[in-house]
Amino acid sequence: MKVLAVDTSTMVSTCAVLDDEKILGEYSLNQEVTHSENLVPMIKEMLDNLGLKASDIDLYGVATGPGSFTGLRIGIATVKSLAHVFDKPIVGVSTLEGLAFNLPYKGIIVPMIDARRNRVYTGIYRWENGNIISIIEPTIMEIDALLEYLNKNYNNIMVNGNGATLYKDKIMSTLGEKVKLAPVGLNGCRAASICELSLLKWKEGKVNDYYTLVPNYLRESQAQRELRKKESGNYGYINSRNEGSRSR
Amino acid sequence: MARMVLKGLKDTEEFGERLGSLLQGGDVLSLIGDLGAGKTTLTKSIGKGLGVEDYITSPTFTLINEYKGRVWVYHFDVYRLEDEEDLLDLGYEDYFYSNGVTIIEWADKIKNILPENRIDIKIEKGKKLDDDRIITLSGKGKRYEKIVKELNIN
Repeated sequence: MKVLAVDTSTMVSTCAVLDDEKILGEYSLNQEVTHSENLVPMIKEMLDNLGLKASDIDLYGVATGPGSFTGLRIGIATVKSLAHVFDKPIVGVSTLEGLAFNLPYKGIIVPMIDARRNRVYTGIYRWENGNIISIIEPTIMEIDALLEYLNKNYNNIMVNGNGATLYKDKIMSTLGEKVKLAPVGLNGCRAASICELSLLKWKEGKVNDYYTLVPNYLRESQAQRELRKKESGNYGYINSRNEGSRSR
Repeated sequence: MARMVLKGLKDTEEFGERLGSLLQGGDVLSLIGDLGAGKTTLTKSIGKGLGVEDYITSPTFTLINEYKGRVWVYHFDVYRLEDEEDLLDLGYEDYFYSNGVTIIEWADKIKNILPENRIDIKIEKGKKLDDDRIITLSGKGKRYEKIVKELNIN
């Protein structure tokens, strides 16, 4: 079974093909260029070099966010159109789960995606019996509030994602020996991880199609923004964890 | 805060061009002023200073216009937006935090989601002559400080 997956949630454009237990190819670019110009040529080049046709793909996977609004739309629209043309199923995977899945680490895994204005999209994950489990579902938090929470509750943390790179100094100074940064090669979004997660979810029957799949921008709800206006300076949503994850 | 009086259209255009020539990718400008104060006119000359050769028109209808100059220039007009919620559906963060220059007309309508580091430009009509403009610059961040210094208006 061949799975083609893409992730364009961040600056990284990445696509990969998985054939059951083997990654046949992965192609990632991390530069200031637009996904709209790059993604489809990348997919084509990868498939061409593998001697595959788009019709050979059995299942599509895509990172559904949180992340860049435009990036998510490009990735999802691309995969939806391929799935539509060849009438194949799609699996949507959380970008944060995809990042956590990059790291086979014994402690907890905290992926962070820059959400601007000192905030990150984040979640808390750990491995259990070979599966990645979320302890805290994707949410948006002030970096300071997140680090304080981690400092209080955990001693063995690995972080990755562009948010972790951005706030590296702050993370190291707050968490010190409790935290490890991911190796550079596993720090960013990897379509290989999205492929494998897609296949796992497909086996569990967690499948979407080109009509039902939607991005998850993980925006603050109106109520949260009003609250923030009132309480500016001190806010974190670890208690209201699913409220922001309204799908659109 | 820096304040100056620009005498006539030519002065305004010169100021805009000079400001545009000092801008670099990542800068965010918010333009605040009444209808007819000259926000779009000022944007045109800022665009010229940024090397935009296209004819810059008001984005009141389109909400965002993009121009290729020395760097990308994103020209917003948020006058028609009901509230900040509407801006979310434009993917505004990919613009505001990009490597291009963002210029936002009627920025006071979305002040809660403007980036912290920015340059605010208030434009008012002069008291005496109709063509005169009073410009007030304020803002936050290293870039704001540098630009005010380079404009040498204090």
